[in-house]
Amino acid sequence: MAELTTTKLNAESHLLLDQPLLRLPYELARKNFKTAQRHIESSSTTLVSALKSTTSAAANDATPAATLAALDTMLQRAQTLKRKLEALHADETTIHRQQRARLAHLQQLHDIPSLADVKYDEWSRVRLDRLLVDYMLRMGYVESARLLAREKGIEELVDIEAFVACRRIEESLRQGRTGEALAWYADNKQALKKTDSNLEVELRLQQYIELVRTGDNPKLIEATLHARKYLAAQQDTEFTMRAAGLLVFPPGTAAEPYRVISTTADRWESLASLFLETHHTLLSIPSTPLLHIALSAGLSALKTPSCHSAFASSSSNASSSVTSVCPICSTELNELARNVPYAHHTKSHVENDPVVLPNGRVYGRDKLMAINEKLGTPAGKVRDPTDMSQLYDLTQVKKVFIS
Amino acid sequence: MEETSQAAHERLERKGNLKKSVDHVQETIDLLMKARATIAADPSVATTTLAKLQTPVKQSLGKVNGDLKEIHASLGKYSKALDKKFKDKPLPSSSNDALSSHASLINRAIAMHLLREGQLSVASTFISEANTHPPPPEAPSSPAASVTSPDHDMQDTVQNDFTNDDGTFRSEPLQKQFAQMYYILHELRNRKNLAPAILWARQHSQVLETRGSNLEFELCRLYFVCQYLGLDTSDDPVTSDPNGISGPLKAIRYAQLAFGNFATRYTREINQLLGSLCFHSNLAQSPYAHIFYNESAWDEVASSFTREFCSLLGLSADSPLYLAATAGAIALPTLLKLENIMKEKRTEWTTRQELPGTDANPPMMMPCGHVIAKETLDRLSKGGRLKCPYCPGESLARDARRVYL
Repeated sequence: MAELTTTKLNAESHLLLDQPLLRLPYELARKNFKTAQRHIESSSTTLVSALKSTTSAAANDATPAATLAALDTMLQRAQTLKRKLEALHADETTIHRQQRARLAHLQQLHDIPSLADVKYDEWSRVRLDRLLVDYMLRMGYVESARLLAREKGIEELVDIEAFVACRRIEESLRQGRTGEALAWYADNKQALKKTDSNLEVELRLQQYIELVRTGDNPKLIEATLHARKYLAAQQDTEFTMRAAGLLVFPPGTAAEPYRVISTTADRWESLASLFLETHHTLLSIPSTPLLHIALSAGLSALKTPSCHSAFASSSSNASSSVTSVCPICSTELNELARNVPYAHHTKSHVENDPVVLPNGRVYGRDKLMAINEKLGTPAGKVRDPTDMSQLYDLTQVKKVFIS
Repeated sequence: MEETSQAAHERLERKGNLKKSVDHVQETIDLLMKARATIAADPSVATTTLAKLQTPVKQSLGKVNGDLKEIHASLGKYSKALDKKFKDKPLPSSSNDALSSHASLINRAIAMHLLREGQLSVASTFISEANTHPPPPEAPSSPAASVTSPDHDMQDTVQNDFTNDDGTFRSEPLQKQFAQMYYILHELRNRKNLAPAILWARQHSQVLETRGSNLEFELCRLYFVCQYLGLDTSDDPVTSDPNGISGPLKAIRYAQLAFGNFATRYTREINQLLGSLCFHSNLAQSPYAHIFYNESAWDEVASSFTREFCSLLGLSADSPLYLAATAGAIALPTLLKLENIMKEKRTEWTTRQELPGTDANPPMMMPCGHVIAKETLDRLSKGGRLKCPYCPGESLARDARRVYL
């Protein structure tokens, strides 16, 4: 076990929580690049072939007007490409700026020698603000996230827009719309193919179910066509068969598994979480809020059994004269900490020269005397700071041996 | 090749951007425009102009495409640098996320954190957003969670004050409290105005005294010092003086008015303050200089005030959320290592009963003064006499008494 008192800051191992900070903008930059590539590719092909056909048309006595019109179309196409690239370039510049700010933020850690340094305290506060913004965004508290980021000046260090966009699609699924999610899928098709995501199939299946559910004939025909187009290619034949079987059963059937498939409230919910999962994996966003990870580690590192004891501890009790510094005992976290495991403490800390009062409470002798002096207890007498009603004789204070 | 992520990013920013591609698309546009103008002016050259246009357009589009290669390469190198930076560092996983089922507790902790940090507007936005989109209801808490005891009454009332019946966070009382705290702190720090703090301390005099806090006296002493030195402390009706006296005289008058209550508890300190009056002409050289020229006095009373204020609310002085998150970040590398070891060795983490001091297994003191856990005591004694494991003393199990650490 490492020395408990060590406060040396190991910047590299300290970055565990901060990987998403750099990964997400990288993924965004990559996506940006892919989009640019796609635009350029399709525009180039179109332009080259358009030019070729215009040339051969002109050679075959096309009217000058037709030639000019064809050139205008090509020009338009090129202008559009330029506009798109300019927009992407602007996004790219933003991403680069964010990356620079984040790298600099993480680099600061390397210049802080010790965990006890004031600078580490500042850095850690910024980190907490980042974690809070991340948490708020995941919970959909967008305004709070924006406000906090602005007040603390950490807009470059958080990914508000990415989460807002993600949230919009997630909500659209909860409201029973597949359009946004499918558009997103199409946008990221290349990257998603590699991840073996079944998001598209599930979305298409949902569209199919919705068509079947109406139960009227034209829709059923549409459903059949839809299924042929999107679902038939599935490897899993059972899946396809079951989807087809759905056509036979009327909406509201009690027969399983069709009853489960066609009662759709839950399906939309699970589609929303499937989307979230796919989205987060694609952008290297951890599935749980980072705040949870930091907090649960911190809670179990700090928690001791006495934090939830029914008997107030002598040293950490709000009504005692010793101020509570234990974060777990404070109202904010006490209930939360019940559910995390205890830390393993290799050393126990007991106050120097412990003495016991007749009521069984143990204090360090020096501290007890100092408190009683502050309290103005008469000479030769002692009061228990957690229970002021009793006045004990100094002779009743007994030495106690704790190991 | 060794390369830091900074260097890789530097290159990415410099070379890996679309600026050139945009310029080359413009080049293509220019080519097309020129050709169009030529043909429009003289339709007879259309065929030759178009034929001559083929290669340049293809070339310039080729450049647009070629520009991408540089971006691709820079992105790739940056990605490699990131991989290296985070080598052996998995993305934080969610293997045992004990907290996700307690979103409303987390929300409450965050709201309280924002309030105590003085982020009042963020806090109120957060609270209203959290209340309009409440997190899904919590898993039923374990039976242990409902254990309460008289000792926790104070904290319980605090908790109930801030939670509505339906479990949503009710912030007005706490918000008001912290608004008051920040008002007082602002007056203290920025305007060197002690009056609101003294007023607060006087109102809570009783509680502060039982806590053994010197806050009220410290504030009054600082006030005395300010009067003495003739520093501007904003108007306190107690001492605003129609006769226009100032300096030490004003301080004496204040001492007569205010120090009466402190006479028994702080005799020595008061004597010092009054003794200093003899030295008012050369205070800086007097034995009392440290009382009067204490640079950090304001910071000290401000932090002492914050501590007392939070304590009376049942809260610790530094944000627990901050402390816990920081501790978590520090502990995480070790925990992760432990998790890996546990996975390899297939062991479990069983520290639940390792430390004595749970309510079921409390520390017990034997008549000889040595302390052992109750379970140990029971096992050693088997109901009858036992010998202390630390000393020769023998005693009966029933003579051992529970102690409270």
